[in-house]
Amino acid sequence: MRLGLSQRQAALIALALAVAIALPFAFDARGYTIRILCLGLLFAAMAQAWNIVGGLANQMSLGHAAFFGIGAYTSTLLLIHFGISPWLGLIASGILGGIAAFAISLPTMRLRGHYFALATLAFGEVMRVIGNSWSELTGGPVGISVPFAKPSFAMFQFADTRTYYWLMLAAFLVVTVVFLAIKNSRIGYRLQAIKENADAAEVIGVDTTRTKIFAAIVSGALTACLGTFYAQFQYFFDPDTVFGVASVSIRVAMIAIVGGIGTAVGPLLGALFVIPLEEAANQVFSAQVAGLAQLVFGTLLIIVILVEPRGFIVLWQRLVARRKPGGPS
Amino acid sequence: MAVIQAILDGIMIGGVYAVISIGLTLVFGVMGIINFAQAEFLMLGMFVAYYAWAWLGLDPLIAAPLAFVVVFALGAVVHQLMIRRVLQAPVVAQIFLTVGLLIVLENAALVMFGSSFRSVTTPYQTSALQVGELFVSVPYLAAFLMSVACGVALWLFMRASWFGRAMRATAQDPMAARLLGINADAMHRLAFALGVGLTAFGGAVILPYLTVSPTVGGQFVVLMFTVVVLGGLGSVAGAVVGGLAVGIIQSLSALAFPIQLQNLVLFVVFIAVLALRPEGLLGGSR
Repeated sequence: MRLGLSQRQAALIALALAVAIALPFAFDARGYTIRILCLGLLFAAMAQAWNIVGGLANQMSLGHAAFFGIGAYTSTLLLIHFGISPWLGLIASGILGGIAAFAISLPTMRLRGHYFALATLAFGEVMRVIGNSWSELTGGPVGISVPFAKPSFAMFQFADTRTYYWLMLAAFLVVTVVFLAIKNSRIGYRLQAIKENADAAEVIGVDTTRTKIFAAIVSGALTACLGTFYAQFQYFFDPDTVFGVASVSIRVAMIAIVGGIGTAVGPLLGALFVIPLEEAANQVFSAQVAGLAQLVFGTLLIIVILVEPRGFIVLWQRLVARRKPGGPS
Repeated sequence: MAVIQAILDGIMIGGVYAVISIGLTLVFGVMGIINFAQAEFLMLGMFVAYYAWAWLGLDPLIAAPLAFVVVFALGAVVHQLMIRRVLQAPVVAQIFLTVGLLIVLENAALVMFGSSFRSVTTPYQTSALQVGELFVSVPYLAAFLMSVACGVALWLFMRASWFGRAMRATAQDPMAARLLGINADAMHRLAFALGVGLTAFGGAVILPYLTVSPTVGGQFVVLMFTVVVLGGLGSVAGAVVGGLAVGIIQSLSALAFPIQLQNLVLFVVFIAVLALRPEGLLGGSR
């Protein structure tokens, strides 16, 4: 497995990792900040999973909430009805998420650009409507609670929020390694070729549809697994939250884009910027004015798209290049 | 009889769907981008009509041209400041610019108008005409007739006026249009402003039988996409056929399914059309 890292990069990553692992000790174990960090890492992981389809295959999915919701409901329903540990539920979520991704890929993967975005948007909405109307299974619009168990690793429930933090960190790292492994594999080069020029890729013998379906299945399965993480972290959710267009599909894509689409660092940058910003805006404004936090959010997205659609990472590289004339641009 | 009644109802709402969706297909035809925020301009049109009723006492049907003008102007500004800048950009920028616009418009409306649901009262709100065994609700009929009038006006504009012909020329071949002295940028601006203005017009005429809130757009997003995809993206005539088809599908499926599954039928039709005939039911040429 090649991840395409230089020695210097590897050293920097090891350092960053050490800081990331030690970080929770700086905060109150039951406090608010650590919960925000958990959510930030979770959304970074989701944006990274989206990045496999959106960044590598250049297919702009607006329906990733479908997989996320499937994951959240799968493990929770298995736990409620059969007492199955969420860790096994996680595997079931991944499998179902992969199957769902395969099913939706068959009719949509030949579509490009705007058409693909439209189709995936509709797919996410289909899942939301099903989640809301199939009350016997999902509990309907009122939502569903994960039953409390005695905190233990086996039941994926912890009294100490720091444990969740390390789990989210691990999840992000796993998704990132998968992302990099795909990016630097033969599949990755095929995806790159499709991205540059799909017709040319087809002509030189890349099976574009198969390659894109593979990317979609990996991305869908990972996103579903993260749905289980979300359920075990929040203990309560409803269809409009986990299947939501704005709450999941758009947000995840936006995090990847704001940070830097197609790069491994982008989703982390995006999430660590967007999620705390959103929480802060909610804290400051929401009591008085609903919608203001989201307004900030949308404005930010528009600004990033208009100023530098390749995201913060490219803005940063440009700044560095300007300071070091003659350096790599 | 119930089926005929459902088809009649479907045609009534379908006519409105056609008008609110024409803008989407017009913009795609001329500029090749999909405006994910289109339904938010419907919401704005409804609010213009609502305040025209609340402050000036205007009937929403009379306020509809006002909604058109206000949102037309807003559309021209939005195009100038944002849309124009991504026409040559990668697809990701085009998609997420209008997605960002959607978030901004919806939440700006929340901040300005609050989240409550509002409705107007009109003298004809609950009246219906009886023709044989069929009933036609007056507000639905009025909205339908206004939509037809609007559609005819648009058709005349596109056929007979210089602007309309120049716009169609830009859609067909931007390079040739430019060589003939047509300002493509101005045509894009006109198409975008006209598109969102028409949607706002449609929003105003349906206000007598609906309630308006900042989140009302969400009910129409996938519906509008279904209309234009059914008719073939970029085809204005297709949007009319698609609008009527979606109206009829919706009211027929109401006979067979509970209300919350009505939209599900629509989504399935939508995905099926995208997968099987992405050029639309009429399509082929584009």
